Amino acid sequence: MTFRAAFFRKIALLVVIAILLLPLFWLGQPSTSPARGARGSPGGILAQLRDRFGLSEAELGEIDPTSEAMRLTTLGLRGVAANILWTKADIYKMKKDWTNLSATLEQLVKLEPHFISVWRFQAWNLSYNVSAEFDDYRKRYEWVIRGIEFLKRGVRYNEREPKLLWDVGWFIAQKIGRADEWKQFRRLFKQDDDFHGPRPIEERDNWLVGKEWFARGEELVEQGATLRGISPLLFFSDRPMCQMNYSEFLAKDGIFGERAKQSWQRALEEWLQYGDREFPTYEGGTVRLNDKERFDQRAEEIWAELDKLAPGLRKKIQDEKRSRLRPEERLALDTPPEARTPDQQALAFEAQRKVHVTHREVAQRITGRHRQQALKLAEEAEKALEMSSKIDQQRTIVNFEYWRMRAQFEQTPQAIEAREYIYLGDEAFRAADLTRAKQYYDLGLKKWRELLDLPEFPQLKRDGNTGRELIDVIRNYQRILDARDEPWPKPFILQDIIDLHKDSVPDFKPPS
Amino acid sequence: MQTGVNTPHAVPEVVVETRNLTKIYRDFWGRQKVRALKALDLTIYKGEIFGLLGPNGSGKTTTMKLLLGLLFPTEGQAIVLGKDATDVSKNERIGYLPEETYLYRFLTGEETLDFFGRLFNMPAAVRRQRTAELLELVGLTGARRRQVREYSKGMARRLGLAQALINDPDLILLDEPTTGLDPIGTRAMKDLILRLKDQGKTIIMCSHLLADVQDVCDRIGILYQGELKELGRVDALLKVRDVTEIRFSGGDGALVDDVKQVIERRNGKIHFIGNPTTTLEELFLQIIRESEAHPGRRVRGGISGDGR
Amino acid sequence: MVVENPLPPFLIWFAGALAIWLGVVAAVSLVGFFLGWLAVALERGPREAVARNWQMICQAFQDFVRYISGSRISGLAYLAIKESIRRRVIAVFVVFLVLLMFAGWHIDPASREPAVLYLNFVLSATTYLMLLLALFIASFSLPTDIRNRTIHTVVTKPVRASEILLGRLSGFALVATVILIGMAIVSFFFVTLGLNHRHTLTAENLQSVTEGGGETGTLTGLTSSVFGHRHRVYVDVGGQGRVEVARGHYHSLRVVGSGPDARYEIGPPEGFLLARVPIYGKLEFRDRDGLDADKGLNVGDEWTYRGYIQGASPAALIWTFEGMSPRRFPEGLPLELTLGVFRTHKGNIEKPVLGSLAVRNPRTGLYVETEIFESREFAEVPEIKRLFVPRKIVNPPSVQIIQRKKNTPEGIVLSPPPEEVRPELTQKREFDLYEDLVDNGRLEVWIRCIEPGQYFGAAQPDLYIRARDGSFVINLLKACYGIWLVTIIVLAYGITASTFLSAPVAMVATIGVLVGGLFRDFVIKLALGQTYGGGPFESLYRLVTQENVMSELEPGLGTLLLKMADVIARGFLFAVASILPPLGQFGWANWVAHGFDIPWEHVLIRTLQTFAFAIPVIVAGYFFFKSREIAE
Repeated sequence: MTFRAAFFRKIALLVVIAILLLPLFWLGQPSTSPARGARGSPGGILAQLRDRFGLSEAELGEIDPTSEAMRLTTLGLRGVAANILWTKADIYKMKKDWTNLSATLEQLVKLEPHFISVWRFQAWNLSYNVSAEFDDYRKRYEWVIRGIEFLKRGVRYNEREPKLLWDVGWFIAQKIGRADEWKQFRRLFKQDDDFHGPRPIEERDNWLVGKEWFARGEELVEQGATLRGISPLLFFSDRPMCQMNYSEFLAKDGIFGERAKQSWQRALEEWLQYGDREFPTYEGGTVRLNDKERFDQRAEEIWAELDKLAPGLRKKIQDEKRSRLRPEERLALDTPPEARTPDQQALAFEAQRKVHVTHREVAQRITGRHRQQALKLAEEAEKALEMSSKIDQQRTIVNFEYWRMRAQFEQTPQAIEAREYIYLGDEAFRAADLTRAKQYYDLGLKKWRELLDLPEFPQLKRDGNTGRELIDVIRNYQRILDARDEPWPKPFILQDIIDLHKDSVPDFKPPS
Repeated sequence: MQTGVNTPHAVPEVVVETRNLTKIYRDFWGRQKVRALKALDLTIYKGEIFGLLGPNGSGKTTTMKLLLGLLFPTEGQAIVLGKDATDVSKNERIGYLPEETYLYRFLTGEETLDFFGRLFNMPAAVRRQRTAELLELVGLTGARRRQVREYSKGMARRLGLAQALINDPDLILLDEPTTGLDPIGTRAMKDLILRLKDQGKTIIMCSHLLADVQDVCDRIGILYQGELKELGRVDALLKVRDVTEIRFSGGDGALVDDVKQVIERRNGKIHFIGNPTTTLEELFLQIIRESEAHPGRRVRGGISGDGR
Repeated sequence: MVVENPLPPFLIWFAGALAIWLGVVAAVSLVGFFLGWLAVALERGPREAVARNWQMICQAFQDFVRYISGSRISGLAYLAIKESIRRRVIAVFVVFLVLLMFAGWHIDPASREPAVLYLNFVLSATTYLMLLLALFIASFSLPTDIRNRTIHTVVTKPVRASEILLGRLSGFALVATVILIGMAIVSFFFVTLGLNHRHTLTAENLQSVTEGGGETGTLTGLTSSVFGHRHRVYVDVGGQGRVEVARGHYHSLRVVGSGPDARYEIGPPEGFLLARVPIYGKLEFRDRDGLDADKGLNVGDEWTYRGYIQGASPAALIWTFEGMSPRRFPEGLPLELTLGVFRTHKGNIEKPVLGSLAVRNPRTGLYVETEIFESREFAEVPEIKRLFVPRKIVNPPSVQIIQRKKNTPEGIVLSPPPEEVRPELTQKREFDLYEDLVDNGRLEVWIRCIEPGQYFGAAQPDLYIRARDGSFVINLLKACYGIWLVTIIVLAYGITASTFLSAPVAMVATIGVLVGGLFRDFVIKLALGQTYGGGPFESLYRLVTQENVMSELEPGLGTLLLKMADVIARGFLFAVASILPPLGQFGWANWVAHGFDIPWEHVLIRTLQTFAFAIPVIVAGYFFFKSREIAE
């Protein structure tokens, strides 16, 4: 080969390299901020993609050189290396080598800092699985916190991942607040200067701290971050639920009065704000949880309007339908619900369906000049009812109505006093002061009676959660009386609750 | 320089003897690739300087390596100093200067000689003394602390010679001893070879520089394509009885013409007039021409010989 | 510390190992002789081949024994050292320093056991770098010499092939030693500096301790948090300070001045770097019916290292110690215990589970409980509980005669048998450990759980007598010696591979040995068919057909052929496995990291193992080198 040929080939290669670099340049061009130049550019495709998926490190200063170096040194075998580390972590966990487990996880996340599942899975491992291996509750707490700190580091690497923020909130709120050792955990959490830093002691409640993290997650979603792997309905419910739980735990900590009231007030406010959010439904479209009453009311109004257009028609249709019922169905329907036999219950259910009159049926029977208007109204009513049922589905998922009612009734002086007396009764019982325990319980039960009889909460008596809670209270009262060798009072002040809910707590034996 | 001729017949002690020495190179599958050496029979006596001549690839280096045990013969046997060539212990009395100087470039001249001295199990004091002597002999005393990597080709060559002499060997094998040397170096090397011979050492050298061989060798063997083509005393081989060579200086063209005329007048035949060529070269080229004309003809060595 | 495969006592090990070694060497020699014979026979006929082989063996014997010369070996070693220097092996040291620099970012000093992480890191970094170094210098040296033909000048001297190999090995070994020592020194300082930290303590951190309503005068408080931990500090009335252990270490405390002006000076960490010398006993289990059992219960752990016993039942963990004498432990027995705790119910979350420590005379059955202790699994770092059995046991909580019950084919055997039970032994209130409880140097230590529904678990190495503490530096050096031994083995394999392979191929082959050696246990399992999914061929079939490893293959000719091929492949694997060095077992990093003295017995065993591998490998290398032509 001659010198010239070699020379030209080199030139040609250089040109090819340059041409191949062009698209790379175009793809990888960094974005510039608008402050510097006249107009900022969004950068190349890669920069835009990075931005869109939130892949860039939080700030330039936070780019972790060790992590970068590790990723480089694996020479493209990052997946393999991560796999090996994952297996190693599993083995260390199996062999209860916690020190090496932590160290391996450290390497793993340095290698795969943007792999969200690694953070989530392993944080769960630390806070839930590893912590449970320890016999000393203080060590358990330490490992719960380790898991949380691990997640918090994950947040630093993945600033635009709301799910991680949500996880931090969940661990702080739920793992600390709902574990078997919640009493100890909450106490340790309050004392944990290293975790809280300068936060004042009264704010060091796991529910409040968790709430802050949920709030950060919400903020991120509102800024447009994508939410993956969790429905918005649940995602947004946890922040207000934290306030609910906080209020509930105030009572467990023996804090009542104005502070409890304010806390429940706040919980209600936040719950209603949550109800004002729009959520997508499975069938498409969006709903607000608060809107159900509005739709129901509208449907009722339309009945009135239809009644105006054709007075008595609705009643007439209903009577017609009733007359078509079989006699036993009619009998079942006429029996009050409490007195129905199981067979009758089924029959009544069926009969109820048969005699049900819809707006449309009424509207279609209207003739003359009001017919058009009536049909239109019927359609509106149907839409309203459809929305109402959609909202109802969503409400069930988060138990919306229960918590709304709870936040409302807990604010009443009756509820606050009832809870305080029962708390004091429990304390006295624990201190073996049976006389005072009984006194407090008697007062507490009286207050409960007052609360249950309040006209604002007609549903309260039938509510399952409240029922179960009260059955527990009644059971404790039973114990106090047993210990004092006292007979069960007749009539018992909450006998209706026992009758309604005695089956909801498995090992409860109603007093005779 | 005139070859100092000893009397080889007086003490016919055999130093090297090869019998039917054959080397066939095979490829990976065991198929015959090259027949590098064909049934060589050779005897070399103590005190002589034996030259192996041949063009590149004629088998002279193969012969050397077979004698040293660096290669194993395919057939036949080589006996060196009374032992089989593959026997390591024969090396005690052998000095070898490889074709190119294969020395460790990261050692200094002094370290090199000391290292090779250790390989002969020489005591430290002897090594020191011997190293100094040899460095002096090859003129590298000034460069003894420098690494071999910094040596010029000639210096490296001289150091190579020094290491070949470290054990005061009885048999010295020199592979192309003068390559890479300047004329002065070449002369010094030749002088040294002759001096070694005077000390009673046997020397086998191979070269394609005919002048060197002609100048120092007592006997030569000419190899071509693995076959021994010619073997004999140098003077005998080169003596051409029916040709007279006239050498003179100081004359001009007219004088040459006069001489020419005189020869022609006396019915003499002029073969050639001009600057003389090395006669060994002539011989060499002639053998090669003949070999190509009659392939397969070869000399069976072994008998001391002055002749064809 | 977890010791999963404890080594048997030296003599037992040696007898078994020697037999296996002789067998393998004999088998390999036979195969080698046959192959050598075959190679020569093809060219020169069978008779001459036998003669030549025999001659070669005789020659080898002479070359290794008779002619071998220290001077020549030292010369060649010197050359190898020079070559290493020229190859800039010192770069390994630089890489090591760079690694340590990066490691500073990466090792978390706030970890539970920072010393474990630091020591594990430096020792594994050292190991990997040394192996890499050995790999390179060993497999490149000889082929380079051959390619550059510098070897021609050497082998034409009266040098034996054995000397060429041994010279290289010793030269490189020397280089490795020097680098290793350098690394050990740097490691030591890296670890001590990395672990070093200072807490601060001011008067405001301290509160006075109240007890029973009154102030005791003692002050207590927490130090500042450094590396994620604090220490509890007590300062008594006299101004004497005490710092509690946290994360496996403590500090000294000096109180300067008194009252509100007092200053508190906390020293550097102590107790991180230990070398406990443990004396292990033999662990047996006693089940809840009081019968001896081989194994404890499994409480559902995937890891079957620890066996568990039930609380509030006759079940016990029994360690038998031998050679107990007043001369060895005049004061009593300092025990250290790591205990697994498994709760079947939460119990009182804030209270640890209680256990009892007792000693028993194996002959008379006298059982003296010495202590009731609290167990907190994983609570302390290291997770070790210190217990003490005093020489004089006064008023022990419980004294009785306990008969061990063993289930044998002839029925249940009691020890001591009923006729030898002497209840009067229990009448005393004061017992001497050696007179009453040690029989012929033997002593049983019993650990039981005294809470119903809770379980204790242990493995043999979980209880030991901490006889004394060795020197940490010597322990570190022992670990480095372990690395050195592995380096020697790799050097030997590398040099031998390079006698007949080109440099890169030799390196790959040595890497193969290295990887195979590190995973030797797995290779053996594979060869013995103890893995799921069959041998190599069956596995391949399952891979391709995506069959899971547990399902049976359909019987038929194909399956039969697969299984037969696997039998052959397994035989081959077994042959390979038997010449692989057990490199995985040479790592002593765990011992050093967890603060346990590496027993000299282990050092001896590993040294012998190294020779057992290196010598035959070098001899094999000799034959390879001898039978090749050095020039091409």
